[in-house]
Amino acid sequence: MRREEHAGKEPDVNATDEARRLAAVRRYAVPDDPGDGALDRVASLAARIFHAPIATVTIIDDEWVRCHAGHGISARLCQTRRAVSLCASALAHDGAFVIPDASADPRVSADPMVAGEPGVRFYAAAPITTPDGHRLGSVNVMDTRPRQAGVEELDALRDLAALVMGELESRLATSRIVAAERRQRADAERLARILQRTLLPPALPQVPGLHAAAAYHPVSADEVGGDFYDLFPLDGNRWGFFLGDVCGKGADAAVLTSLIRYTLRAAAVYDPDPCTVLANLDAVLQQEHAGGVTPPPYCTAIFGVLEPGPDGFTVTLAGGGHPPALIVRANGTVEPLHPDGGQLIGILRDPHFAQVSTRLNAGDALLLYTDGLTEARTASGSMLDQEGLAAYLASTAPAGADDLLATVHELITTLGKGVSDDTAVLALSIPVRSTTVASREPCAA
Amino acid sequence: MQHDHGLTVTLEPRSTHLHVLSVAGDLDHHTTPRLRAALDELTLAPGNGLVIDLSALKFCDSTGVSILIAAHQRAQEAGAALALAGLDPDLAHIFSIMGLDRLFSFYDTTEAALAALQ
Repeated sequence: MRREEHAGKEPDVNATDEARRLAAVRRYAVPDDPGDGALDRVASLAARIFHAPIATVTIIDDEWVRCHAGHGISARLCQTRRAVSLCASALAHDGAFVIPDASADPRVSADPMVAGEPGVRFYAAAPITTPDGHRLGSVNVMDTRPRQAGVEELDALRDLAALVMGELESRLATSRIVAAERRQRADAERLARILQRTLLPPALPQVPGLHAAAAYHPVSADEVGGDFYDLFPLDGNRWGFFLGDVCGKGADAAVLTSLIRYTLRAAAVYDPDPCTVLANLDAVLQQEHAGGVTPPPYCTAIFGVLEPGPDGFTVTLAGGGHPPALIVRANGTVEPLHPDGGQLIGILRDPHFAQVSTRLNAGDALLLYTDGLTEARTASGSMLDQEGLAAYLASTAPAGADDLLATVHELITTLGKGVSDDTAVLALSIPVRSTTVASREPCAA
Repeated sequence: MQHDHGLTVTLEPRSTHLHVLSVAGDLDHHTTPRLRAALDELTLAPGNGLVIDLSALKFCDSTGVSILIAAHQRAQEAGAALALAGLDPDLAHIFSIMGLDRLFSFYDTTEAALAALQ
């Protein structure tokens, strides 16, 4: 049966239905209008089909009839309180709704557009209905003279309302995709940060008579790098430390980094001799890969042991394919600490590892870094290299681990885009003992 | 660093027992399979010599390093000799930090490498 379209008994609007309808309105209330004028074109098409001066697209929330597009009227003018709105009356109707003469209809004569400017008499509307049956609002056509609406005109009006619904659906889908992408990106970055934290110690331990500081300078926020470092207690009063870099980036590199970190710590407990630690790590990485088809994973690393002495520490370190550590002496001179000929770890047959020892006295500092720093390009396009780094440190003469890290940070900032890989830095320094002794108040007699 | 994932690998026999493999462009995880395939096709016999000419190599990442090490191991297993020629000074420096100068023989030019392997 065809529904009576011209007038009709207003059905009781169930409160639950209205709550669901408002939820639908909020769902489709896309905050950012794409600004493509799609709804404005619908309004002007509606006006043209009816040969009427005014047409609007309205969405009705709990209190207001909000105008999303207007033809022949400013959107601001047709925004009215729902209680008195002409457009709100269309909400109660399934199909198209027509009022031939609004001034003679007590239901809508209070609408300011009927009572005042522009003096609307004729009104026709088709509801914008969601796929699950909620009427969000309507496409409306208005004229300032009383008239009738033709069947074809009303059919076209219904089609336009369906078009508006389609447009709102696609805006909703787009905004959901954008939000999902934003969420995924945020998740990926959060995961990368969490992973990075598991690969690096949360804080370096307090070592008596030693100042230690470390930093990680990632190139990208969402890609996990393969640089690692640690400082931890060994037997007695000795301490172990390491810093290195695995080949590759991303998830595989993160898994490998984790394996290397724990292997180094376990190997150091078993036998802290630096060359032996690196040889054990090499054996574990080779076993890990045995029979694999992909290129074998490898890393470069420096592993060292600190042994306290009378005025500082004896440091013994072994290197495996890693750039040399640098010592900044108390007098400002910079010297490399480089065991001769250490090779890549995990990929070579019978790799060679070598170790070297030196004293770190009060005021001396040791810097370990990954090749993201020394392979960075300077303004002239050449590689910074350890000579460039040593020269920079000699010119700035940093005093102590914190100052050394700040100097490296400054250098990385200066190099800017010349840095194309992550850089991890570990600095160890021997504080200069304070010679000022707090004067004591003499005891009261 | 900008690189366009282009790599060309050309094999050129110089005598019955000497081969030159020229590697030009970017050697990274995208292009390494091309060099691996070229090496797989090559049959090395005891006493043979292989020169890998890297003078036109623009970029080499960790997978590139891996494949060169794999090439060395294959040559060793076959009783053949491998030499690297024309390595860019920066890359030569990085290789020496990795301790690969103990593994590979480096030569300035392909001709110098061939003369040494003769």
